[in-house]
Amino acid sequence: MIADAVFWILAVLAVFSAWRVFRTDSMVRAAYWLLVSFVGVGLIMVMLKAEFLGVILILMMGGEMTIMAVFMVMFMMNPAGLNPMIMVHQNRAAMAAGFGSFALLSAVGLFARFPASVVAPTARATAELGTELLGDSMLVFQTAGVTLLAAMIGAVALVSVRGRFGPADEGSDAPEQQPAADADVDSSAPPSSTGPSSSAASSPTPPAPSTTPEVTEGAMPADHSHEGA
Amino acid sequence: MSQQAIFVVAAAIFGIGVYGALSQQSFVMIMMGLELMLNGAMLAAAMVWAMVAGGTPKGQLLVVVLMTVMAVEAALGFALVTGIYRVRKADITEKLKRLKG
Amino acid sequence: MVGEALSTAGLALAVVAVMIGGTYVAAVLDVLFTRLTMRVAVRPLAAAALPLRRAAQLALQRRTLTERPDAGTWALAPAVLAALAAVSLAVVPLTGTLIPVEADTGIVVFAAAMALVVVAVYLQGWSPNSPLSLVAAYRFVAEGLSYEIPFAVVLIGTALPARSLALVPIVTSQEHLWNVIRQPLGLPVYLITVLALSFWGPLALPEGQDVAGGTSLELSGVPRLLWRVAQLNVLVAVSAMGAAVFLGGWLGPWLPGGVWMALKTLFLLALLVASRQFFARVRTESFVVVAWTVLTPLALVDVFLAGIQAMVAAR
Repeated sequence: MIADAVFWILAVLAVFSAWRVFRTDSMVRAAYWLLVSFVGVGLIMVMLKAEFLGVILILMMGGEMTIMAVFMVMFMMNPAGLNPMIMVHQNRAAMAAGFGSFALLSAVGLFARFPASVVAPTARATAELGTELLGDSMLVFQTAGVTLLAAMIGAVALVSVRGRFGPADEGSDAPEQQPAADADVDSSAPPSSTGPSSSAASSPTPPAPSTTPEVTEGAMPADHSHEGA
Repeated sequence: MSQQAIFVVAAAIFGIGVYGALSQQSFVMIMMGLELMLNGAMLAAAMVWAMVAGGTPKGQLLVVVLMTVMAVEAALGFALVTGIYRVRKADITEKLKRLKG
Repeated sequence: MVGEALSTAGLALAVVAVMIGGTYVAAVLDVLFTRLTMRVAVRPLAAAALPLRRAAQLALQRRTLTERPDAGTWALAPAVLAALAAVSLAVVPLTGTLIPVEADTGIVVFAAAMALVVVAVYLQGWSPNSPLSLVAAYRFVAEGLSYEIPFAVVLIGTALPARSLALVPIVTSQEHLWNVIRQPLGLPVYLITVLALSFWGPLALPEGQDVAGGTSLELSGVPRLLWRVAQLNVLVAVSAMGAAVFLGGWLGPWLPGGVWMALKTLFLLALLVASRQFFARVRTESFVVVAWTVLTPLALVDVFLAGIQAMVAAR
């Protein structure tokens, strides 16, 4: 009874904060809403007796979300991360895809018959996982480790000072406020037949009419819906 | 706390992730969408381990593999964002019309 | 059912009591060490009352505000820090029988809670919407990435001889030899990293003078008081954990277990608090370099040696 209540609180928290990630108006808040979502899922995992996995998920995400907030502030045109800003494209199609996958997956969950074989209350899940990782499934564990090592080397190679993308200190320039000239108009489109208005209409999804677009200050291309908070 | 309930919650988190990955312009926000999708998948995997597969240790291993995927995605994602920013000064997808380096 | 709820409430009360008591003791110790190094006569009653008087002063002080802060997050930051300290204190076994939360993965819970301290400090620096405070927050993030690794690795080293991540087996595995002797590199690395983690004394880098007080720059009145209390809570939690995993927790001759645990915690707490008087504040960049090039390799050597010892012992 209490467990059910706690589960539903955590579940609502995880879903609500996941939704807030894309609806909040600041990069830092988005990153930390994502962290809240991960903490909610981690705690549900603890309730499912996957104690080690839940705790390690929270441990991982605490570091990663902070890095993420730093990266967002580094690369976004919003240095402190406090100012309002939501940038979306193809909003309706994305929403449809999101709802579609939610409906499909929850239909699988609701209507498929899975065997009900609950983990034993006395199971020592953490010890079992450790034995499994360093026993039967050691190859999988080692492969994961080598994959991480390769990812680390790859990441360093991509961004190192003498890497293929140029000197490392170039990234320290201030971000450009204006979009690149070739970004807003598709150069391959026939220029004569379409005026500026119809080029916006030919983009995958026009801005949703219900939103109130702010003054774009010339900073945003025509086919972005730049919504205020 | 039934199988169905956790499945629906995981599907909701996954669906929000799909929406984010498809709708956001900022590279980092797209990565957040991907992470949310993995988050939902991990929750479903942990549920299957605990309630369908009866706690076989291999089930937890699947979640460990998913966490590895998430770490690799984050590391390489940030590296690519940095590299693209250096070359193209691009921080949103619309500034990136071609992927050839 | 009722008895269970009562015992849960009692354990929660024990954690809160340890946290509040430890925080007060830490504040008094800070006053004492300051007086001693300044060679001012110490009057015990005055020293015991001074932290309370300062707290009352802060509580009555008028609070200053910044322009357009994120008020909710700002209020949340000290609460997050104190909650993380409480979570990590809750997994520490106080005696052989008084264990607030007996988690299978106690030491991982502790490491996870302490990893989230970076988040609390970052939010504290970010939310007032003030430049120097934000600079300090970023500084702590950079620092955090470098101290987290040696911190977590020496903790893993203590779990190796116990063959468990739970804290009770970790303490009982030190029955014959404490980890501080068995793993001589462990405690020094742990103490340095927890100083950085609780941004105290020589490693109070996010609150340095060069950023005009950094993350605490915009704090005044009650929020400042709460932030200081939360910081001391973290110091108490890391001292208790250090006593449990390196100094053998409640184990010891003659005295009852609780007394030993309190004495060991007090010893580590005094060491940490006193470091403020005896070491100068270091520069962020030199600490980050030391953390990556000295502390991390030392921690790896520590866990390697612990592994060899465990292998030999298992034979």
